[in-house]
Amino acid sequence: MELFTPDFGLVFWMFIAFIVLFVVLAKWGWPVILKNMDHRADTIDKGVEYAQQAKHQLDHAREEAQKYMEEAQAKQAEMLRDAAKMKTQIIEEAKRQAGVEAQKVMDAAKVSIEQSRKEAELQFRNEVSKFSIEIAEKMLRGQMKDDAAQIKLVDKLLDEIENN
Amino acid sequence: MKRLLNILPILIALVVALPARAADESAKHEEENLDVKEIIFHHLGDGYGWEVPFSHVYRIPLPVIVRAEDGSWHCFSSSKLTEVTVTEDEATGKKHEELTPVVHEVEKNGKIYRFYIAHVSEHKNKVVEVFPLTPAQQAEAKAEALKIANEKGGDPDHMVVPGYVLIGHDYYREYKTFDISITKNVLALLIAAVLVTLMVMSMARYYARKGMKAPRKGMGFMEMLIDFIYTGVIKSSLGAKAPKFAPYLLTCFFFILTMNLLGLIVIFPGGANLTGNIAITLVLAVATFIITNVLGTKHYWKEIFWPDVPLFLKCPLPIMQMIEVFGIFTKPAALCVRLFANMMGGHMIVITLTLLIFIFAAFGAAALGASVVVSVLFTIFMLLLDVLVSFIQAYVFTLLSALFISAAQESGHHEEKLPDGKVEEVPESVEA
Repeated sequence: MELFTPDFGLVFWMFIAFIVLFVVLAKWGWPVILKNMDHRADTIDKGVEYAQQAKHQLDHAREEAQKYMEEAQAKQAEMLRDAAKMKTQIIEEAKRQAGVEAQKVMDAAKVSIEQSRKEAELQFRNEVSKFSIEIAEKMLRGQMKDDAAQIKLVDKLLDEIENN
Repeated sequence: MKRLLNILPILIALVVALPARAADESAKHEEENLDVKEIIFHHLGDGYGWEVPFSHVYRIPLPVIVRAEDGSWHCFSSSKLTEVTVTEDEATGKKHEELTPVVHEVEKNGKIYRFYIAHVSEHKNKVVEVFPLTPAQQAEAKAEALKIANEKGGDPDHMVVPGYVLIGHDYYREYKTFDISITKNVLALLIAAVLVTLMVMSMARYYARKGMKAPRKGMGFMEMLIDFIYTGVIKSSLGAKAPKFAPYLLTCFFFILTMNLLGLIVIFPGGANLTGNIAITLVLAVATFIITNVLGTKHYWKEIFWPDVPLFLKCPLPIMQMIEVFGIFTKPAALCVRLFANMMGGHMIVITLTLLIFIFAAFGAAALGASVVVSVLFTIFMLLLDVLVSFIQAYVFTLLSALFISAAQESGHHEEKLPDGKVEEVPESVEA
C-alpha cells in the first residue's frame, strides 16, 4: 500500500520544483522559443508566397514580353509596308511631277521653237521678199530698158486692175 | 535482427558455461530466501540513499531533513542511518556484506535525538524518531505484539505494533517525523528539473543568438518535439488561447518526458521511479485541476450547474449536477492514476522479468541458462517498449490536460442555435 499513499516530502519538493521550473520557463524559456518559431514559420510562409508571386509574375512577364514582341513585329511589318507604299507613292509623285516639269519645259521649248520658227519665217519672208524685190527690180530694170516694154507693162497692170 | 541472431548462440554458450562457475556460489545464496516482493517494492519505492552499480550495500549518501517531535529541525547524511556489516563465512572464507539500519543519535541543545529507518513498523522505510522504553513499557509492548500475533497470526517476535518500532529485539516508541529529506526521488526530480531547464534555456538562447536560423541535430529534435506539442496538441485544442496555456502544457510535457526517460536509465542520474510515484503525478494532476477550474469561464460553470438537459434531470434532484461535479474531480484523478500506473507497471514488469533469473536459479543450471536468455530478451523488449510508453504517457497527459483546459475555456458562443434550427459554427481560430 505504500505505493499508493503519496509521501509528503516528495509532494513538497515536487510542488516547489514544478513551480520554480514553470515560472523560470514561462518567463524566459517558452515565450522566446514560441515567438521565434512562429516568427520563422510566418517568414517561411511569406517567403513561399513571395516566391509564388514572383514565379507568377515571371511567367506573366514572359507572356507579356512575348506579346510585346509580337506587337512590335506587327508594327514593324506595318511600318515596312507603309514605307514601301510611301516609297512607291513618292516615286510616283516624283515621276508625275517630273513629267509635268518636262511637259512644261517641252511646251516652253515648243513655244520658243514656234516663235523662233515664226521669227525665222518672218525674217526669211522678209529676206525672200527683199530678194524677190531685188530680183524683180533687177529683172524689171532689164526688161524696162525701153519705153515700149514699159508701156506694155503698164497696160498689162492696168488690165489686171480692170479685171479685178 | 540478423546481428541479434548472430549474437544469440554466443549468449547461450556463455549462459550455459556460467552456471558451472556460479554453482558453488549459489550454494550460499540458496540459504537466503529470495524476497521477491521486497526487492520489487524497494526498486519501485523511494530511498534515503542512491544505489551505485555493482554494489548492494554502498549508496550515495543524501541529506536527511526531518523535524523531531519537539519541533526542532535536524539535517544529517543518510549514511549515518545505515551501517555496512561484513561477515566472513568460515567454511569458504568469503566475505559477505550487508546493509543494516542503525539508530543515529544527535545531541542538540543538551538533548539527545534518536533517528532510525523503520522496518518493522507502521512507517516502513521512513525515518522515525525513536524513544527508549522503560522495562515495564517494553513488557507492555511485547504483550501487545503477542496479542496481535494471536489474532492475525505470524511471528510474535516481528510484529508491527502501532506506535512502536522494533529495533533488534526491543520495541521503541516511534514518532513519524515531518520529513522533507532530499531522498533519491527528490534528487532525481531536481536533476530532471535542471535538465529540462537546461534544454529549454539553451533552446531559448539559441534563438536569441541565431535568430531565424533553423536549429540542427539535438536542437532540431527538441524543436521538432516543441512544434509537435505546440501545433499538434495545444494549438489544435485551444486555438487562439494557445499562447496563454502553452508554457504550462509544454513544461508538463518536457518535465514528464524527462522524468520518464531518466527512470529507465539504470545507473546514477536515472533509475528513480519518479513518474511511477503517485506523489509526483498527484502534484501534476492538481496543477491541471487548478488551472482548469480557476481559469474556467462562466459558460463552463454554467454547464456544470445548469447543463442543457431536460429539466427533470436537474431540477428536483440534481442528478446532472452531481455527475458534473464528480467529473471535475475524476478527470484529474484519472490523469494522475494513468501516468502513475503506466510508469510503475513498466518498471515492475522489467524488475519482475529480471528477477525471474534468480527465481529459476533454484531449479538448476539448465533452467537458469534458459531463463537468463528469455528474461534478458524480454527485459530489453520491455525497456524499449517503456521508451515508447514514456513518450506516449507524456503526450497523453499533455493532450488530456489541454482538452480539459480547452473545455473550461469555451465561451458559449461556440454553438449557438439560430432561429431556423441550424447550428452556427464558428471556426476555432476565430474564437477570441
